[in-house]
Amino acid sequence: MAASRQTQRAGEVRQSGDLGSFTTKLDTTLSIETPERVIFNHQLAGPALRTAAYLLDLLIRGAFVLVVVMALSITAVATGRLHGLEAGIVLVLFFTLEWGYFVLFDLLLSGQSPGKRMLGLRVIHESGRSLTPAESVLRNLLRAADILPFFYAIGLSTMCVDRHFRRLGDLVASTVVVREPRLRLRKRRVELVHHDVVGLPQRLMLSREELAALSLFARRSPELGRSRAQELAEIVAPRYRARYGISGGNAVDLLLTLLSRASRP
Amino acid sequence: MTTAGDEGRLTEEREPAWKELDQLTEGRRMRRGTAAEISRAATLYRQVCRDLSRAAQEGSPPDLIAYLDSLVSRAHSAFYGNPGVVWRKWATLLFSTFPAEVRKNWPFLALSIALFGVPLVVTLIKSSHSLTFAAQMLPIDVLEDMAEAYASELSDGRNGDANAAMAGFYVYNNVGIAFRCFASGILFGLGSVFFLVYNGAVSGAIVGHVTASGSGANILTFVCGHAPLELTAILIAGAAGLQMGYALLDVRGIGRLESLWHERAAILAQVLGAAFMLLLAAGVEGFWSPSSAPRELKWAMGGVLMLAVVGFLAFAGRGRRVAS
Repeated sequence: MAASRQTQRAGEVRQSGDLGSFTTKLDTTLSIETPERVIFNHQLAGPALRTAAYLLDLLIRGAFVLVVVMALSITAVATGRLHGLEAGIVLVLFFTLEWGYFVLFDLLLSGQSPGKRMLGLRVIHESGRSLTPAESVLRNLLRAADILPFFYAIGLSTMCVDRHFRRLGDLVASTVVVREPRLRLRKRRVELVHHDVVGLPQRLMLSREELAALSLFARRSPELGRSRAQELAEIVAPRYRARYGISGGNAVDLLLTLLSRASRP
Repeated sequence: MTTAGDEGRLTEEREPAWKELDQLTEGRRMRRGTAAEISRAATLYRQVCRDLSRAAQEGSPPDLIAYLDSLVSRAHSAFYGNPGVVWRKWATLLFSTFPAEVRKNWPFLALSIALFGVPLVVTLIKSSHSLTFAAQMLPIDVLEDMAEAYASELSDGRNGDANAAMAGFYVYNNVGIAFRCFASGILFGLGSVFFLVYNGAVSGAIVGHVTASGSGANILTFVCGHAPLELTAILIAGAAGLQMGYALLDVRGIGRLESLWHERAAILAQVLGAAFMLLLAAGVEGFWSPSSAPRELKWAMGGVLMLAVVGFLAFAGRGRRVAS
């Protein structure tokens, strides 16, 4: 009996361990330490965004080919005969666009094709530096394998399984695709409000995470709308009511007061 | 100890600096920037790095940290971007590293030659004796087109326009074949094996069928001009693919990807060298092979080119240290 309980507990532990590794797998950031000894997080780009960027690039290339072909046909009609030279140019153009387009822009724009640039994506080396020409050539040559057997089926499945959303080309070249969104900073300053909440100490010790959450709530609550802010606050408020032995009162006021009386760790 | 209100003040005090850094590192400005701009941006970058670690330490709200994260990551990319193309390095790669790596990894080239050559010889012999066999390999109209194309000697040559069109086609098609032979090697070598055998078998069937229809000398005269460059390049690309697949299989106790990364420079040098050879071959195939030059001259040129290719692969880049 005792033995069976023991195994059960071991099983539980293993389960929670599995859950732990599951959450790290879901993490879509890549931490990079700069020579300035600062660690910052890159957000990785997933299959959906990357497919969208690829389609944009496809459109751009298609439009370019269309313009060139039209210009060449107009000259052919104008001069009254079809030149083999023009057919040759179009074929070399096809080749360049198929194999050289991404490498060219990787080098010109440090890892951004026009499609990636429009969506704020960039290819970088795993270590955070820009990719070298050799890495760019490798990851783009390997498209020929990722594209098999149809529309990047191999590449997309590899991406879905891999921890950093890498396709075969990325795995070989040690590259990742990250998002570089240009975020705008919220202007609003936190309005610190003091309400008299009976029984709440004048100075509180709150954890870093609690402070961050409360501060975000304070900055956002004006744009949430009164009733939504109330709803959200009611979810968290019972925790603090229980902790400090308070009953009743407005939940929003309680949270803002907590923030104003909090001292930083 | 600081209070929550400080965070608003931090934002307000530091925001002009953040905005300035954001603008300085935008697009390609760091590459073209003046010394003063770059130095200013570097100062700002270090400050923002400090702001980020401070914000993270003090439990600032996630949106502020996300903003600083994105700013630092963009500035990091701008500062540590690659320095652009260095032409001398590419020349060394093509004329010395490439042949040296081909020599060093000769077993893969030998395997690649066998995978391409054996089906080629088999289908060549079979389809030169039996039309039914050739028809099993390729659609009958393709075979008829081929037989017709080589029925007459190219004594008057094609005109220059048609040559340009065909050179374009060879670039598009043949370099593409070589790249596919290489890239599909990532599937544990199986893709390279498939493409090598397939291309060998198809080439053999075509040459065999054209020979059976009595124009064997014509097709060989056409092919001998560029084959030394083109076939060798496709075989080298295939060999690089096989090497890539083999690195994934023989992990040498360091893990599959690490084992592959170990071979990466060697593989890349071979593929780029092959691509370069194929571009040359496309020019020869488009303009020289179909020309009206006498048959004897074409055979002689083919022989010279063959010697040049073998000599290049055997001797170029000797005595230099190969980066592994």
